Formats: sequence, structure tokens, C-alpha cells
Amino acid sequence: MTAMSNTRALTVAAGAKTNRIKRMPLPLQITTMAWRSLRVTFRTPAAVIPSLIISVFFLAVYQASLGNASSFLPGLAGKSYIGFILPVSIISAALSSSGVAGSSIVRDIENGYFDKLSLTPISRAALVLGPMMAGAVIVVLQTLLVSTVGILMGLRPETGVAGLLVMIGYALVLGMAFAGLTVGVALRTGNAGAVQGASFLFFPLSFLTATFVPFDLLSGWIKVAATYNPITYVLDAMRGLMLTGWEADVLLRGLTSCLALAVFTYTFAILSLRARTRRK
Amino acid sequence: MSREIVVEQLHKSYGDFTAVNGVSFDVKEGEIFGFLGPNGAGKSTVVKILTTLALPSSGKATVGGYDIVSHADDVRTISGVALQEIGLDPMMKSLELLTIQAQMFGMNRKQARERGEELLRLVKLSEFTDRLVGKYSGGMRRRLDLALALVHEPEILFLDEPTTGLDPASRRDIWAEVYRLNRELGMTIFLTTQYLEEADELADRIAIIDGGKIVAEGTPQSLKASLGGESINVTLRDDAAVQQAKAQVGDMVEKMQVDRNTLRLYLPNAANAVPAVVTRLQAAHLELVSLTLTQPTLDDVFLQVTGQRYSADPAAQPDMA
Repeated sequence: MTAMSNTRALTVAAGAKTNRIKRMPLPLQITTMAWRSLRVTFRTPAAVIPSLIISVFFLAVYQASLGNASSFLPGLAGKSYIGFILPVSIISAALSSSGVAGSSIVRDIENGYFDKLSLTPISRAALVLGPMMAGAVIVVLQTLLVSTVGILMGLRPETGVAGLLVMIGYALVLGMAFAGLTVGVALRTGNAGAVQGASFLFFPLSFLTATFVPFDLLSGWIKVAATYNPITYVLDAMRGLMLTGWEADVLLRGLTSCLALAVFTYTFAILSLRARTRRK
Repeated sequence: MSREIVVEQLHKSYGDFTAVNGVSFDVKEGEIFGFLGPNGAGKSTVVKILTTLALPSSGKATVGGYDIVSHADDVRTISGVALQEIGLDPMMKSLELLTIQAQMFGMNRKQARERGEELLRLVKLSEFTDRLVGKYSGGMRRRLDLALALVHEPEILFLDEPTTGLDPASRRDIWAEVYRLNRELGMTIFLTTQYLEEADELADRIAIIDGGKIVAEGTPQSLKASLGGESINVTLRDDAAVQQAKAQVGDMVEKMQVDRNTLRLYLPNAANAVPAVVTRLQAAHLELVSLTLTQPTLDDVFLQVTGQRYSADPAAQPDMA
């Protein structure tokens, strides 16, 4: 049996047929999948436009209701509240669009295209990372939008344009991390309702942290929760860029936190894909 | 001829339900292999396992010499698959689908696009490239799905019920294309179907699956011949004539059956025995009302091996659904 398989493999490898061994490089597979996912998503504008608008809405509401807080909040004296709250709007935005990636997988499972893709030699990692990347791109678009509105409302980041770009980088990684969870749930359940449910899991993550006041003003259980919440450090890093300047340790801690979260949800998504194949 | 697909003792269960129960068969290189069975017999499950979409519970299988579990990627590279549930994203356009598919099989963007355009011409969809696939008719979607399966000129083509739900004309088109791929390009074709006549018409060899088990395997001709069910049916004027006829030809046949005024004569190679039978009956001055020749169908084969009539329509046999 084994001998026969080997002979066969050899004839194939020797190029008896054309185009056999060539594979698309993994990064290209991921971007192709992400691009396809985005194109299809934007063909139903109603699926994305609301979450784009809602992020601006968050920013406007926070600023209008809490805009004067910096005058009496210790630790914020002399700093702009909009720089303090902009990262929160970004996280809210990432939260509101985290379901897009999972929903696109559910759609593909329902219409059978997911199986069609699985039947090609595409890397299993690309099947998962493509939609995660698409989700992240939407978060980046939201971040661009909120930042522009923020600047129009008077935001002047301490670190300038470079700082804004770095903040967008954080948003990208965070977007991937959030999308990974909904992609995983989509693969595990194939159910749109479950995906929506899963995206609510990010609410505690986004609010059990120094959302509206500086970390030092937190107390009790919420302070404990915030200490262990990776979002706290991502917020810190983004706020540092906006309000303080380049602080290597803060930036590094923020990066580690969102990368760790992304690796965690990616692992969950890949394991869910494997479980799906085993179940079928 | 080498064996393109080898399946040994394949099992697949979902909880308590056993969908595939110890299936073994071979498919030879370059043949059209028909995998026939009623709804729910386990056909699609076997296809899903052989194409790497599902894992077997036990047993093993190779496709093109590659193990379907340990070398799934190699199996995917040499296989083209069109599943029963057509997997097309309704929000995409045909050329987009084909281009992505071709890229995943290693072509660059330009090659992939060209290949896509070529296939769209082949399946006569070139005029509809700008229309979303969701707006296509059932027949158009089938054709596009077949084109997707052919993107990388696969060595083996898996077609899971390619004609279910198609009108007779579209069905004929698909049959012609399957023939062409097999005869002109030498593609090995693994075809599942619930239609007996489709298996009979297309397949070089067939296996019949029922209740998760293979109940018969061979060429359609040999399966039918193995029943020994060929018969000459002679209708005469009355019962007396039938009795006379029985006496005349009794020594020529294996078995006789009387059905009102019709005498059924079972004998091998029935067609060639017709002149001799007619000569005998005429010599006895028996007047023939009619004479027909019956060859066993795959339906008879199915009846023989399972003890029940074949029905592709689940409504007709609610206990099988």
C-alpha cells in the first residue's frame, strides 16, 4: 500500500501533470480572501454603513456629555478630553463591527461557498485569517473616520500624524482579535444568532476598564477587572499617543496585550475549523 | 490500469447513526465510475470523505495514491469537485469566483482570469459575467459549478448528483460534457446519482450503495446479465395455445412463466434465440399475437440485491427518507 502511494507521489511530483505543486503564497492567500470578503460585504452596504456611523455617534455623544470632564478629573488637567475618549470610540467601533467577519463566514457556510473553498488547497490558516483581516480593515476604516471627526472637533495628538498611524495599527490588531472570536463561533455553530451573541462578549471587555475616567480613579472590583483586562493596556497606549507622547513601555504593553488577544482568538478560530471538519 | 481511488472498510457515524457502514471499492484510472443509491443511502457522505470535506470514523482511502487524511492537500490538488449543494456565493460574479478558484490552485492573477474566461466560454456563460450569481437560473449555476471544478484540469472529477433537479435537456448537456471530459481528456470521473438510467447510460462501472453498504458492484451489463433475467415474451390467442407453446419450447429455456396469455421464456442470450423460438412455434401452427424481448434493468438488479424496488423519489418510500 505505502509502496504504491510513494510511486504515485513521485510521478506526480516529477511533473507528469502541469501546475501540480504550485501553491499561492500564504500572505497572498490571506489578502485574496480578505479582499473577496470585503468586496462581498460592501455589496450589502447596509451591513457595514451603520457600524461606521455608530463609531462617530459614540465619539459625538461622549464628547458632548463628558467633554468638560478634563477640567475637574484629576490626571486629565490641561489635557483634551477628546484625545482621552477617542480610543474608547475606536474600541466601541471595533466592538460594533466584530460580528461582520463571523457573519460573512455564516453566510459562506449557508450558501456552501465555504465548502467550495475548503476543497481547494488553500491553507486552513488563510480560511480563518482572510475574514479576520477583512474585519480588521473595517475597524481601520472606522478609526480613520473617527480620527478625522476628532481632528475636526479639535483633537491635536501629541505624537502628530505618526502617532495617529500607530494608533491605526493598534486598531488593526484589535480588529483582528475581535473578529477572531466571531469567526470561531461562526465555524463552531454556523449560526448567525450565536455570532451576534458572541460579539456581546466584548462589552465587558470594553467597559470593565478605564473607559470614562483615568485608571487611577478606579476602585474596588472594577479596578481588579481592569487590571486583568487586556483592553486597559491598549487604551493606555492609544491615549498615551494622543495625550502624552511616545512612551516605549506603555506602547509595548499595549501591543503585547492586543497581539496576545489576537493570537488567542485566532487559535480558537483554527481549533473551531478543525472541530468542524471532524464533525462533518 | 492503475487504481485511482481505493476505498477500504470505510465507516462513518454521526452519534448513533451509521451513514457509511464498511464500504470498500476501487475506481480505475480513466473510467467513469457510477455510485448509485437511493436518497439517504450514504452516497454524499462517501463523496465528502473522499474529497476531504469530512473525516472517516474508521477505514482508509486513497485518491490518486494519496491518503485522504494524511495527504488531504495533495488530494485536493488533483481533485475537482462539484457537490450536490452548489457552493456558490450569490453575491459574487462568475469571473470573480473562477479567478479566486484558479488562484488557489497556484495560478497568478492574469492566468487565473484567462482560465476563468476560457471556462466561461466552455460552459456558455460568457454573456453573464457581470451578473451576480444569485440571479442565475438553476441550470446556469450547475454549469458554473462544473466550470469551477475544472479550473485546474483535475485528474479526478467528483460529481455529486450533477443532474438532480435539472430538466431533461440540461441533463443531456451535462451527460455530454461528462463524456467529453472522460473520453477526450482522460479524466477519471466519480459520479453519484440516484437515477438508474443515468448510471446505466454514463458509467463504465457502478457500485450500488444501500443503507450505508455496497450491495452490488460491476459493469452495468454484467450486473444485469448476472440476474439471468433476459426473457422473450410471447403472447398467444388463449390458454390452450399457451400450454401447447410451453410443450414446444420447454427444452430451450431455463425457466418459464405464464402471465395470462403471455408466456415468458427466460434464457441467456435471449435476442439470438428469437428465430429458433419463432420457428418452433410456427411449426406447431401457433399464431403469435405479439413478441417482445425484455432485458433486466438496474432496477431489477436493485430489487434482487435489496429485496425492494428502487425508488429515487423519497415520497414514494417514506420509510427510506
